Amino acid sequence: MLHVLAGGHVSGNSYRIDKNNRLASILLAPAVVVVGFVSLYPLAYSGYLSLFNYRLTRLDEMGFDPTANIGKLLADSLFAKSLGNTLVVTAFTVGIGLVLGMVFALVLDQLTERFEKLRGILIMPWVIPGIVVGYLFMYIFDGNVGVANYLLQTMGFIDAKIPWLMRGDTAMAAIIVANVWNQTPFYTLMFAAALKGIPVSVKEAAYVEGASRASEFFRVTLPQIKTVVVITSLLEIIRNFNNFPIIFTMTGGGPAHETLTSVLYIYKVAFDQYDMGYASFIGVIWVAILMGLAILYIRLLNPKEARS
Amino acid sequence: MMRRRHRAAGKAGLAILVAVILLWTLFPVYWMVSTSLKSPTAVFYNPPELFPAEPTAENYGKLAGGTVGFTPISRFFANSSIVSGVTIVVAVLLALFASYGLSRFSFRLKRPVLVGVLISQMFPLVVMLTPLYILYIHTGMINTYRGLVIAFTGFTLPFCIWMLKSFMDTIPRELDEAAIIEGCSRLGVLRRVVLPLLAPGLAATGIFAFLDAWNNLLFPMSLTTDVSMKTLPPGMILAFGGEFKHDWGGMMAASVLVALPVVAVMVFLQKYLVSGLTAGSVKD
Repeated sequence: MLHVLAGGHVSGNSYRIDKNNRLASILLAPAVVVVGFVSLYPLAYSGYLSLFNYRLTRLDEMGFDPTANIGKLLADSLFAKSLGNTLVVTAFTVGIGLVLGMVFALVLDQLTERFEKLRGILIMPWVIPGIVVGYLFMYIFDGNVGVANYLLQTMGFIDAKIPWLMRGDTAMAAIIVANVWNQTPFYTLMFAAALKGIPVSVKEAAYVEGASRASEFFRVTLPQIKTVVVITSLLEIIRNFNNFPIIFTMTGGGPAHETLTSVLYIYKVAFDQYDMGYASFIGVIWVAILMGLAILYIRLLNPKEARS
Repeated sequence: MMRRRHRAAGKAGLAILVAVILLWTLFPVYWMVSTSLKSPTAVFYNPPELFPAEPTAENYGKLAGGTVGFTPISRFFANSSIVSGVTIVVAVLLALFASYGLSRFSFRLKRPVLVGVLISQMFPLVVMLTPLYILYIHTGMINTYRGLVIAFTGFTLPFCIWMLKSFMDTIPRELDEAAIIEGCSRLGVLRRVVLPLLAPGLAATGIFAFLDAWNNLLFPMSLTTDVSMKTLPPGMILAFGGEFKHDWGGMMAASVLVALPVVAVMVFLQKYLVSGLTAGSVKD
C-alpha cells in the first residue's frame, strides 16, 4: 500500500501493467491541461509578477524591479503579523480539533451498531459551506443578540456581555471555535476508520494484561494509529494555512488586523490595495512555506522514500 | 470492546458523552434553523427565544422574491446548481481517465505526475487569483459558466484523481488480465471491467467535486464581475454585506438554503463520502 509512488511494480505478467506511453499520455492529458491552466500556470505567472513593481493604481510606475518588493517586505510589519496570526489560529484549531476528534472517535468506537447513524450526524459541520459557518458564528458571537453571551451569562461564566468580534483576543477565540466546530468531524472520521483497523488480538492482549483505560489508549491504541494521526494533522495544518471564508466573513481580518491571516492579507493587498506585484511576491513566499509542509506530507505517506 | 459496554457506570458515562457531543454538533445547526423561522422583531428579543414562539416562513418568502440590484437571489441558486452540476460530470470523467492511466500504466513521468497531483492539492487558491483573473480577461472567460466550471474542475481534480486511483488500485489486476486475454482492449477493460466495479469510488469522487464547487467562495468572487453570474457564496456576501448585515433572520434563512443541498447529499451518500475521504487522505 505504501510503495505506489516508487512505481508500483507488479512482477511477472506484462498484461497487468501496461507500458504503452502513448495511451497513458492520452488518458492523462485532459486532466494535466486543466490543472495546468488553473493551478500551475497561475502559480508560475505569480512568480513572474513578483519580480515587478505592478500596482493597478500606479500603472505609470510599472516595470521590472525585483528589489522593489523586497524593500516593501522589509518595511512591512503586517506580513509578519499575519504569519503570527496564522500560526495562532492554526495551532489552536488543529490542537483542539485533534483532541476533540480523538474523543469523538473513541466514543463512536464503543457504539458499533449505532455507529452509522451517529456518524451521519457528526459529519454535518464538515460539509456546511465555509461562508455559512462564518455567518452562523458571526451571529452566535454577536455582542448584542449573540446566543454565546446569553448561554455563558446564564451558566454564570461571564457577568457582562462580551463584544466578541470587536476585540482582538476574543475575536481570535471566536474564529477558533468556529474552525474547530467545522473541522472536528474530519479528525473523527479519520480516527474512527483507523481505530476500526486495529486488530482485535491487540486490544485483547491489553485487556488480558489488565491495562487501565488510559494506559491502554497511550500504550496500545495510539501507537497503532500514530501514522494516521500525524498525516491527518499535517493535512489539517495545510488546510488551516489556506482557510479563507470563515475568517473573511466573521471578521474580515479585523479588528485592527488582529485576526488578519496570511491568505487574507495576500487577498487584501491584491484586491483592496491593487498592488499585484507585492501580492504575488508575498504569495510566492507563502507557497514556499506550504510546499515545505507538502513535501513533509509526501514523505510521511511514503516512508521508503524518506529513507533514500 | 464488548466487555465494557455492560458496566452500568461506564454506560451512563458514555451516554452523557454522546449527549454532549451531539449538543456541540447540532446546537449551531439548530440555532441557524430556528433563527430563520423568527420574525425580524423576534430575532432581537433579549433574552433570545430558544424555541421560536411564533414560527414564520417570512424570511424564506423574502428570499424567494428578493433581489441584489436587479438580480433575483434565485438566480444565484440556478448559477450554483448549473456550475456545480457540470463540474461533477467533467471532474469525474477527467479523474476517471487520469486515475486509470496512473493505476494501470507504467510510464516515464509517472512519479513526477503523482507527486504533482499530491502537491497541487495544497496550493493556496488566493495566490492563483490574480494571474487567473488576468488570464480570464484575455481569454474572454470572465462572467461565463465555462470559466467557473474550468476553475472548479482544475481546483478539485487533484484530490479527485488521488481518491479515484486509490479505489481503482483495489480492483484486482487479474481481472484486467483475463479480459485482455479474451481480446479486450485497454479502454475496453476500463469500460467493461473497471467501471462497473468502481461505482462507490465514482460516487465518492462526484460528491467531493460537488462539495468543492458548491462551497467555493474565492473563484466566483473574483472571476465574475457581473452580479447575475455570481454563485451562492459570493451572492450571499452581496446580499448580506453592508446595510443588511443585521438581518439575522434573512441571513440564517439563506444559510439554511445554501447548506441544505450539501447536507442532503451527505445524509444520503455519507457511506461513499467517508470511504473516499479516508482513502484519498491517508492511503497512497
